[in-house]
Amino acid sequence: MSDLTERAVQRLLSERDLVALVAMGLVVLAVFSLVTDTFLTVISFQVMGFQVAEVALLSLAVMLSMLTGGIDLSIVSVASIAALVVAKGFAATNAATAGSGRALWLTVAFIALGLLAGVACGLVNGFLIAKLRITPILATLATLQILNGIGIAWTGGVTVYGMPNQFLNVGGGYVYHVPIPVLILLGAAFLTGVFVNRTGIGLRVRLVGANPTAARYSGLNPTRVLYATYVASALLASIAGVIIASRAASASADYGASYLLLAIVIVVLGGVSPLGGYGTVTGVVLSAFVLQMVSTGFNMVEFSAFAYQIAQGVILIAVIGLNTLTQRYGGAWRSRLLRSRRRAAATGDPSTARTQ
Amino acid sequence: MRSIPWNRLRGRNNEGVLVLSIIAFSIAVGISTPSFWGWPTLLDLGTNSLINLVFAMGVLLVIVSGGIDVSFMAIGIFSGYAVIILPNATGFGADYAVVGFATAALIGLGLGLLNAIAIAGLRIPTLIATLGTQGIIRGAMLLWVGSKVIPHYPAGLDRLGNDYLVTVHSGAAATRLSVLIIPAAVICVLVGLLLRYTMIGRSIYAIGGDEESARRAGIPVTGIKVFIYVFVGVLAGIAGMMHVTRVGLANPYELVGGELDVIAAVVLGGASIFGGSGSVTGTVLGVVLITLVKNSLILLGVPSTWQRFAVGLLLLVGITAQALSARLRRRGPALAPGVAA
Repeated sequence: MSDLTERAVQRLLSERDLVALVAMGLVVLAVFSLVTDTFLTVISFQVMGFQVAEVALLSLAVMLSMLTGGIDLSIVSVASIAALVVAKGFAATNAATAGSGRALWLTVAFIALGLLAGVACGLVNGFLIAKLRITPILATLATLQILNGIGIAWTGGVTVYGMPNQFLNVGGGYVYHVPIPVLILLGAAFLTGVFVNRTGIGLRVRLVGANPTAARYSGLNPTRVLYATYVASALLASIAGVIIASRAASASADYGASYLLLAIVIVVLGGVSPLGGYGTVTGVVLSAFVLQMVSTGFNMVEFSAFAYQIAQGVILIAVIGLNTLTQRYGGAWRSRLLRSRRRAAATGDPSTARTQ
Repeated sequence: MRSIPWNRLRGRNNEGVLVLSIIAFSIAVGISTPSFWGWPTLLDLGTNSLINLVFAMGVLLVIVSGGIDVSFMAIGIFSGYAVIILPNATGFGADYAVVGFATAALIGLGLGLLNAIAIAGLRIPTLIATLGTQGIIRGAMLLWVGSKVIPHYPAGLDRLGNDYLVTVHSGAAATRLSVLIIPAAVICVLVGLLLRYTMIGRSIYAIGGDEESARRAGIPVTGIKVFIYVFVGVLAGIAGMMHVTRVGLANPYELVGGELDVIAAVVLGGASIFGGSGSVTGTVLGVVLITLVKNSLILLGVPSTWQRFAVGLLLLVGITAQALSARLRRRGPALAPGVAA
């Protein structure tokens, strides 16, 4: 085997999760393109683009918390709080009937305010987890409940309407045939990638998740890392909330409640380890698109929403189950491979030995 | 200084603190609305908490073992709804409520086995496994069992749903205590005995304390885990059946979404999310406190839309207190030897 092909094979093996995802995406694409004649069209992909952005953003939020070995269950409530702040702001200022100049100004102001409210929720999560040292599951379970409770009490359980066209464009507009939510998603995903891979704090986020004890002994202060993680997670969630509100042209405390399971499925399918430390932005975004294709495809062949719910659960359990099984039984295989390589290196066979 | 009585009063899982909170809260509500005092409040409390109580017993077992379960409500409504649909379709078990409950428990057992396979067999983290099975179970029910609300009940269950242990008339209104409180109480006692006096119960604590140590001590960890999730399935099936029986309308869209109230009650009751500790008494008190707070908000003039917020706040206060006291305890023994030396 030549060195080049071997390196290519090695690269593919190390990106096994991504390769599997792309393969899965192609299979889904092929199946639904064959079964229906409307799947492989520009319009159907535009529709998917509008739908995928919000849940992909929520998934990125879950990914950040999972990288540190925790989990953020409150994202759905944070999203709805951000959406409610925006909607209530518009309602209070009668923005729907305002002149276009004022409406634009109000749109910018209230989106900023909504994101700010989301960040404040993230700070609360950070305080509970980093300062009070409450387990992330419990802390975010409580804030999920409390924030949702605030939303319900604030609106009295009623949906809030009345938004200016400028705001509706955020979730419903196009730039060169590309839905604006997709552009927002790609921008946010790029920034999240930079945060995780190219900044010091991002490196620390992954370290804390990969081995908290080692991180502590290396003098790493987890407080700031955890604050940054949960604030960033809440910010992503509130961007999703703004898109949800804009697409629905309204806001309610109950919007998006079904997204929690889906977001976790996407993150896990995207190769993020629920135990912390490992995961890529590319994987998560890819897996969001794959699952969106499954959902849209199911819709087109007129499977019910409940069938999609079952599919989500089966995918979640199958992916993680396969992972744990291959880890348990694949370890022996891998160590045998390594041993044979080392033996080859010792005998000086250059074709199988790899220099580090 | 005699500090032992105080410790004993506080209880191993802060049961004393819970009792105090319940009393303090009752007095506060009683002062602002004197009508709070009386049998109706107590009977309502019993009737409203009995179903969550049975669910909570299952969740307690899972949390003591160091896991978390979010699928029990899906199992509950699946079992209860299926039992109501079955006689309507086939005429099976129409006359005896016992047959209905046994069938529900059996369905719960099967669905619990699903969790057991995912958690004990495939070794998937419990939160993720049960999130997955929740989706599968609920989806399967709505897709294949049915998705309509069913008002017609087999005679036996219909009668049981309207059987009351005690009825108190105050003016035109009557408050009743459902007879289902008896099986709920029996289940609580059984789970208490199981946890305290059987090998299985002690093994559950041991696994929650440290799974690897438990394994090395010779405890069949996988077998115990299978038992836990199957047993929780059975309890959830029975609780779901109780819910369907009491409400008198089999609505497949109910229950799911109410998981957090139950988990909050168990955690408030002193069970540690890390596993290894938790008691039936504490859990019962936790369920009672949450039901009491939810019931009394209306009496206090707080709109019912604040219920969710109140439960969340209660949970937050409970876990914050736990986290802080755990930190203090960790600091305590670490300092003590140094002081002595």
